[in-house]
Amino acid sequence: MQNPYSGATFFSFFGVLAKRLWHCATGQLEGALASDELQLLVLIGIALSCSLVGLFLVLRKMTMLANSLSHTLILGIVAVFFFLSAQGETPTLLPLPALLGAAFIAALLTCVITAFFTTVLKLEESASIALVFTTLFALGVLLITLYAKNSHLAAELVMGNVDALQRGDLKAVWIAFFANSLLITLFFKELKVSTFDGGFARSQGISPTLFNYLLMGQTAFTATAAFRAVGVLMGLAFFVAPPLIARLFTHRLSTLLKLGLLIGVAASLGGVALSRHILSMTGRGVSTGGLVVSLLFISYFALVPLSRISIRRLTFTK
Amino acid sequence: MSALFDPVLRAPLLGSMIMSFATSIVGVFLFLRRNALLGETLSHAAYPGVALGALLGSLLGAAQDLTFFILGGAFIAAWMGLLLFRSLMRNPTISSDSASCFVLAGFFGIGTLLASFLQVPFPTAFRTIPNYLYGQVATMTDRHILLYALLASTLLTFLILFFKEIHLLLFDPQLARSLKGSARWVERGLSFFVALAVIMSIRSVGVVLLSAMLIAPAAAARQYTDRLSLVFLLSALFGTLSALWGSLLALHLSARFSAPFPPGPLIVLLSSAWVLFSLLFAPKRGLVIRTSRILIFRLHCVEENLLKFLWRCNKAPLAEFVATFGLPAFVIRTLLMRLQWRGWICRDQESYQLTVSGRQRGNRIVRLHRLWEAYLVTSLGEQSEGVHRSAEEIEHILTPELEKELTELLNDPKEDPHAQPIPAKEGA
Repeated sequence: MQNPYSGATFFSFFGVLAKRLWHCATGQLEGALASDELQLLVLIGIALSCSLVGLFLVLRKMTMLANSLSHTLILGIVAVFFFLSAQGETPTLLPLPALLGAAFIAALLTCVITAFFTTVLKLEESASIALVFTTLFALGVLLITLYAKNSHLAAELVMGNVDALQRGDLKAVWIAFFANSLLITLFFKELKVSTFDGGFARSQGISPTLFNYLLMGQTAFTATAAFRAVGVLMGLAFFVAPPLIARLFTHRLSTLLKLGLLIGVAASLGGVALSRHILSMTGRGVSTGGLVVSLLFISYFALVPLSRISIRRLTFTK
Repeated sequence: MSALFDPVLRAPLLGSMIMSFATSIVGVFLFLRRNALLGETLSHAAYPGVALGALLGSLLGAAQDLTFFILGGAFIAAWMGLLLFRSLMRNPTISSDSASCFVLAGFFGIGTLLASFLQVPFPTAFRTIPNYLYGQVATMTDRHILLYALLASTLLTFLILFFKEIHLLLFDPQLARSLKGSARWVERGLSFFVALAVIMSIRSVGVVLLSAMLIAPAAAARQYTDRLSLVFLLSALFGTLSALWGSLLALHLSARFSAPFPPGPLIVLLSSAWVLFSLLFAPKRGLVIRTSRILIFRLHCVEENLLKFLWRCNKAPLAEFVATFGLPAFVIRTLLMRLQWRGWICRDQESYQLTVSGRQRGNRIVRLHRLWEAYLVTSLGEQSEGVHRSAEEIEHILTPELEKELTELLNDPKEDPHAQPIPAKEGA
């Protein structure tokens, strides 16, 4: 089936999208999901789930730990691959329980081993983080070499390939989003208190450490769900950039959350549209994941002057 | 080791060693400044530079050897990343880890985008780029070695020439900045060499694993010494050796498993294993060493308490020891055997008693105990009820010099606060 988006430029992309959405809503849609739409749905799902978790990572200064985790995910995924192929199946797509298993292994190893180095061996914190994630990543790469006899398989794991997505990827990503939204909504008050006033939280019986571990688990699961699309290294951008951009405009937690979601969606839309535009104009395919991340990055600096205007307004209004 | 002379293998091997030498020296700065993750930020920030350098090199027709362009591009990108990081840090609402991650991930995304632009028009250049992500020394030549050796010797010269300023900067940066103008330049030089070492080494272990090559040798070296010059020396040694053995191991394993083993991960694993070993077993600072020292001291205290116990009741069977001290019988029996071996107690059928030298030893311990009590009450004005506890602990650690000083201070007292006689000084 011809891709309805082929030949589209940046603005006409949205025209086609709107038309197809309308057809979808009125039940007139024929044909399967276009690859652009699949990419869009996956990227939006990733952006939404990551910015929810990412906000708390940024506020709690846990982003380096999240970076560490996104690297050790390799080990978790490889371990799960080994386990599955030992049982006779070698899927290209990891089923959901396998994803959960990989995420769990990675999160556990990272947090526990880093904590061991910091508290028991008394190694300084940033050094512990650096040491642990690189060692586990090295282990993962070695295992991949042994398994696939080709260490360049690691390339796809690290960078992902948005252009090779399948429908199965959608499921994982949107489950992650719903899980994250549920957890954040459920524990909003506790997260808020433990983020901004840990001592007070403890006095109310809320353990900041517990929520740190919860957040790390969420990060692990979200990053695992996202790795096929954007790889482990760029997932970090989805965690960190939307909260930083949102922080330019407000300091209220609920607004930060909503703004972060909006920014993530906007960047995904822009990235996919731009990618299609470049393909139509130059016939060359570029990395859509890289494009979205670049958009996020650049929009921070583009929005800084804009934010200076609104902050003045903010300080005079409630 | 013959690989060192093999013309094909020698370049990658030496190359890895030189690169590790550079990162392990530079890593000492980062480690001691608790800024271990700067390397991570810089190495990821270098990625777009790698792509741009490859692009520029290909455009200028240097497709055969893009190394110089790539290194140049990587350095510029890493430097820009550093500047951006510093400017983000000026915003008080952004914490350092968020700024690092933002720069890291953002630059990496831009790099991925740029690399994807290269894919179709410059396929050879495009294929070189993953070499810098994961490390790929196998294709290094002697020309590269020369370049790296030159860069590494510049670093070494800088370190030796400005060692005093570096030393001061590491331990008292504010004083350093206030003292001489040269300190500011040395600091800039440090940043320059950090970036240089980073981009030199992404070829050997890749962008991700670089942080280990910066931190692991330095962290290990720190466990063995407090002197800065030795830390640099040991760090360079550990780093270079890890590179050597890691590369050799990679060659060996590749031959054995007929699969191309990347040396980078093996180098990192060796370094990390060494750090772990050092953290556990380094003399004085190693965890296992410290814990066993504490354990040995505790046992020593129990031994002396056993001796004191015998000193009081002259003769006692094992059961009485067990009952009084509440420790398992085998522990007490072993300690009593040690006391026997040192000639302080003797065993007479089922019960133990002190020998002459044992009694003297007991005298000494009790003397120290009661001297200390006297000191606490007389000189520090403490109540006589509470001093026993303190004396129970201090008696084990008072040295003969302290004993002499206490005796003089208190005018050789004959009785302690509980009106018990203080045994005379040993040898008196």
